Amino acid sequence: MEIFNNMILGFSVVLTPGNLFYCLFGALIGTLIGVLPGVGPAATIALLLPFTFSVPPVTALIMLAGIYYGSQYGGSTTSVLVNIPGESSSVVTCLDGYAMARQGRAGPALAIAAMGSFFAGCVATVIICLLAPTLAELALKFGPAEYFSMMVLGLVGATMLAHGSLLKAIAMILFGLVLGLVGTDVNSGTRRFTFGLSPLFDGIDFVIVVMGLFGLAEIISSLDHMEKKEIVTKKVSGLMPTRADLKASWKAIIRGTVLGSVLGILPGGGALLSSFASYALEKRLADDPSRFGNGAIEGVAGPESANNAGAQTSFIPMLTLGIPTNGVMALMLGAMMIHGIAPGPRVMIEKPELFWGLIVSMWVGNLMLVILNLPLIGIWIRLLTVPYRFLYPAIVMFCCIGVYSLNSSIFDLVMATGFGVVGYILLKLDCEPAPLVLGFILGPMMEVYFRRAMVLSRGDFSVFFTEPISLVMLLAAAILLLMNIAPTIRRKREEVFQE
Amino acid sequence: MQIKIRNGKDFYAGLFFFFVGLVTVFEARDYSVGTARSMGPGYFPILLGYLLLMIGAGAAVRGLWLKGEKIRIASLRPLLMVSGAVLSFAFLLKPCGLILALLALVFVSCLGSREFRLRDTVILYFALTTIATGLFVYALGLPLPLFWSN
Repeated sequence: MEIFNNMILGFSVVLTPGNLFYCLFGALIGTLIGVLPGVGPAATIALLLPFTFSVPPVTALIMLAGIYYGSQYGGSTTSVLVNIPGESSSVVTCLDGYAMARQGRAGPALAIAAMGSFFAGCVATVIICLLAPTLAELALKFGPAEYFSMMVLGLVGATMLAHGSLLKAIAMILFGLVLGLVGTDVNSGTRRFTFGLSPLFDGIDFVIVVMGLFGLAEIISSLDHMEKKEIVTKKVSGLMPTRADLKASWKAIIRGTVLGSVLGILPGGGALLSSFASYALEKRLADDPSRFGNGAIEGVAGPESANNAGAQTSFIPMLTLGIPTNGVMALMLGAMMIHGIAPGPRVMIEKPELFWGLIVSMWVGNLMLVILNLPLIGIWIRLLTVPYRFLYPAIVMFCCIGVYSLNSSIFDLVMATGFGVVGYILLKLDCEPAPLVLGFILGPMMEVYFRRAMVLSRGDFSVFFTEPISLVMLLAAAILLLMNIAPTIRRKREEVFQE
Repeated sequence: MQIKIRNGKDFYAGLFFFFVGLVTVFEARDYSVGTARSMGPGYFPILLGYLLLMIGAGAAVRGLWLKGEKIRIASLRPLLMVSGAVLSFAFLLKPCGLILALLALVFVSCLGSREFRLRDTVILYFALTTIATGLFVYALGLPLPLFWSN
């Protein structure tokens, strides 16, 4: 019964005009940037973050979450219609979705993608409701050693996603951890890595780092390798899938949902991994794998359900444990902290309206997207024809005003430029920014828990291995690392990424 | 024997992280380390610094052994223009106000694209300035000076 009370609480939060508006706004902005290639959800969330300060935290989070799942819908639209993945998580949708569109079956492909996404969204919401309280209760019993090990696991998981070398992903995490330590040490009052610059005494603002790394660096690198893609828009006629389509795809939708829900919770998981894994699974299970790539509807249904499920369940570890599993979740966590909410298992107890409101908003947002998206497809397609050269100066402007509005500081803008340049160089060296942001968010917390664990154990390092939960998490981290290093699995991973 | 860099991406990334590690360890030299039982402010950073040194060196050495793709940078123009745009905005905002700072921002950032067109840029400038003043200054009430102040 408790779950119903929680849901009612959630609905009472969401079904206010203000929150509904922000939910819709976030979902629409998400769809928009999902449609536009070269602008990702991480960059958008970073861009809009400073402008959410004037609204209550729950409203801000509802909108930012809407951007994330909205982008999944938008990304699939362009994949199917014009063979351009608006989002990295819809890359695989291009393969069969666009093939279907060429056969004049764009309508059913889009409809199946939307239905699959909505089904996955509903299931994922239920999973969050069932799983989150249990997980939070468990997490309340965690001591500092468990927390430290959990963060190690989360960070190791983050390296799974980066497709450069493992070594570089780990180095990016460490770099992020160091950046997170800049500022005054809470325990001793020592000023660390400030180079005598007073704006650094309070640490580097999270928004500055992500604006530089996700905003500016991505603009520079998109401008650097802009290829001209011809956009051939096909007429969308006949949205409804046939009975045969439904029969072929309902199993794929269920499999994709389950796979995505599981992978979303795991460290390093989320929408991207889920969609790739689901495509691989569908291809393997198919009677005739050669149909894949030539318009197999399962190849759209599975991954599209999976990425939406994964996008939503990745909120579970972020909300209950305070551990982000991917870059976007790191941003959400940062948003919570900026709004003065200490992440962790206590959020659910102390701020139930925030927790349940956010979860219910995801379901409501998905519903709005399904209803709105199909009629709006024409508009999204027209937006695709807006050239990038009109778009990026606007993004630069948002970045600048956003950063400046934090503290009205010129130094912040200079710092953001610095992060942009460094981020661009790192991108060129195949070092992705997401692990760095994760490290940056977790750095200060990790140090605190590390210190506390050591105080409690009287300086005995074995505490991480003698506490059973901590041991399990460290073992899981070790296994993940080994899997990444093992050459056969590495090759497999690359295959999946290439497909 | 001549040393050849086989994988520039790994090699230079390794050097970069090695350098970060070096700066970390160097800056943290005066922070007290303490003991494991009661850690000083230097304990964790120095640990991270040494790890970065090791991994950086490892990646750099790997870059000498293993073959890899070349680093491809088509032109430095986007990098220079986009960062130039932000910096010019930064330094013009307080003395000249938002309207002029945006002029610099839009023009310099538009120069970052190979398809620069003056007419489009002017249109874009007017559109963005309208959005910025309407949305940020009036609707959201951000404390941005529109013009130069005395």
